[in-house]
Amino acid sequence: MKRVTMNAVVDQNLCIGCKICEKVCPVYAIQVTNRKAFSDDQKCVACANCADRCPQHAIKMVERAEIRELGVDVSKFDPKEIRALCEKAHLNPEQILCYCTGTRAEEVAACLLGGATTPEEVSAQTGIRTACTIECIQPLLRLVQAAGNELHPDPNGWRWYGVTTTAWEIPQEVKDKYNSRGFYFDEDRELLDRVVKVGADKQ
Amino acid sequence: MENKNLIHPAILPIAPKPSQYGIDPSLVKTRVAELPGMCSLKLSELFPELPDVIFPGGEGALDKLYELAKDEIRKVDMSMIQPDQSVNVLASHHGFTLLGGQPYAVLLKAIRDVVIEKTGCKNIRLRAGVGMRFRETEEYIKRYGLDTYYGPGKAKGVAPVDEGIPIETEIGTLYGIKAIYDADWIIHAHHTDVREVHFHRQIDKAVKPFSMSYARIESRSTYHQNLGPRAANFTARAIFESKFVQSKFAFGAFLNVGPHGVIGVIADNNLYNINDRATFIGCQLYGKVMTLFGKIDECIAVLDFPCPVPYVFSAGVIYANFTGANSDLYDMEGTPLPGYTWYTEAFYGKNGKPLLPETPPLNPAIKMCVHNYAWTGYPSAFFSEHIPTVVVGAEQAKLFDTEPMNIKYMDHATIAKTTEGAMEFAYNATGTDKVIIFDGAMGGLNCSESLAKELIEKAPAVSKEVEEVLMPKWFRQRGVDMSVLEKLK
Ligand code: SF4
Ligand code: SF4
Repeated sequence: MKRVTMNAVVDQNLCIGCKICEKVCPVYAIQVTNRKAFSDDQKCVACANCADRCPQHAIKMVERAEIRELGVDVSKFDPKEIRALCEKAHLNPEQILCYCTGTRAEEVAACLLGGATTPEEVSAQTGIRTACTIECIQPLLRLVQAAGNELHPDPNGWRWYGVTTTAWEIPQEVKDKYNSRGFYFDEDRELLDRVVKVGADKQ
Repeated sequence: MENKNLIHPAILPIAPKPSQYGIDPSLVKTRVAELPGMCSLKLSELFPELPDVIFPGGEGALDKLYELAKDEIRKVDMSMIQPDQSVNVLASHHGFTLLGGQPYAVLLKAIRDVVIEKTGCKNIRLRAGVGMRFRETEEYIKRYGLDTYYGPGKAKGVAPVDEGIPIETEIGTLYGIKAIYDADWIIHAHHTDVREVHFHRQIDKAVKPFSMSYARIESRSTYHQNLGPRAANFTARAIFESKFVQSKFAFGAFLNVGPHGVIGVIADNNLYNINDRATFIGCQLYGKVMTLFGKIDECIAVLDFPCPVPYVFSAGVIYANFTGANSDLYDMEGTPLPGYTWYTEAFYGKNGKPLLPETPPLNPAIKMCVHNYAWTGYPSAFFSEHIPTVVVGAEQAKLFDTEPMNIKYMDHATIAKTTEGAMEFAYNATGTDKVIIFDGAMGGLNCSESLAKELIEKAPAVSKEVEEVLMPKWFRQRGVDMSVLEKLK
């Protein structure tokens, strides 16, 4: 769940149409037409990426007249299906994926079971990755992929480029080479596996 | 130890700074260190074995540092840099939060000057990475005059959502920020301050920016979500070891700091030489303060520094690490998950309890947090959710309420109109008069007299414990023994 309290507003006089705002918006809420950017306040999730990357300082975050709430009702979906999808992505349904909004894996899974197929759709519906837009991209991509979707980064944007390695895929020779330097690869993998399984017996 | 001589008047805290991430400095009416009953301890008196520092060091200290930095940087091999080539000096926001920020700015100036002097190269740019506040280093570049020093168009702040570049590593493709690598050569300009021990666990500390401030979101998320709490920093090594980064890496130049100030400058073509110093000497210098803070049994923690909540400083320890000081953050085996790190935060279930029962709580010694002055720009609701928090001033509360990463911070915190009111409330509600202030006081720490006495009493035993028991364990876990300290001298 995320409360959207702000909104991006473009000062058209300052905008030079460089499209950087478009490229960093996680939900396609701002677009450049005829060399001027326009934000859609019904889509904007107030991450402030556009405002913080605009080279002209042409975008301001202003308070919304009405607060928008984002969220997917997890109770409408089969908990077994939610768990299966989360486990496929090596996640516990209850674990928090987005440190900014507190969005849990189960909500992302529910959103995907409800028909979302891209990270942008999931962000727009659940609020995940709508604040720092940094730290939760990998588990989000992992879940979108685990739900059977192919990942195609937008070549016209910089939203995300792709999935990366997880604890379950680090090659043994890499572990052998670097273990002695104090990286606890296998121990951490075991810890992550234990987290994934918490609550499984209750189902 | 004789108490009386070691207790000093409070040190002037770091001044509030104008920033889009904090309230207007004019709204910070009172600093907690100014209130009755507050005093300071000097770290060099608490731990007399700490080495001497150049800064803080009175008038002329920064000029001295500039000259010393140039001397050290001159020693590295720069023969690979041709006069017609381009060089990116890579910086990170952290450095500007250390000891008022000036020492790091001096280092960045010295690097530029020596590269010009030794190579004749003129195309030297500054690329300053950030944490989660995408404008933060833009603010620092202006504040410290680095835009004019590096010349028009040569200094810029970069962010993890900027255009990326794929980097092939031993663990597959990771991603860097394109502007970081858009020169023939890169110079890694950093510092040995330990800062986020909860994240890097003092493994490859000097390498970390390659997966953070120089990295795209994909790599940073790999660190904080994919590998686990003790393997996370391998992301940095994987990127640094890549053929791509190695083909551009010229040298590293670091401010050599301790919790009490700037000791000197280290520059080397081999980053791992710097890394060993940062890692092992860091355990010794910072490990003692961290361990001492872990011995505090009850206190009110005060945030009073121009930085986001977890990054406010006291004696080289950030608040985030104080919230985990009930465990040994350097102990890789005994502390898989500290009380606070992002993996820990992720693993709290819907009932507000950790999924794994063995997870330690946030430091129970912190009876209340008085948030007198700290910035937004970092998800901090986990702290106010678990530690009773009182925020000073409605303006500050409003700032948090309207900042995307902290929409929930004020859901759990209360507001006091004044600093004095907040402290009174904290004293009455907690029943303790022990106060530790995270205000960046240089060379020491500000606290209440009651806490000062306790710290003075406990310091000698902590020093012994760290040297004789903890360091041998920490080093063994990192593949070395105590003889490494001799080698690094
Ligand atoms: S980033 Fe700024 S200048 Fe560029 S198109 Fe968007 S609003 Fe206009
Ligand atoms: S969602 Fe973020 S990037 Fe997109 S328009 Fe709103 S504030 Fe700007």
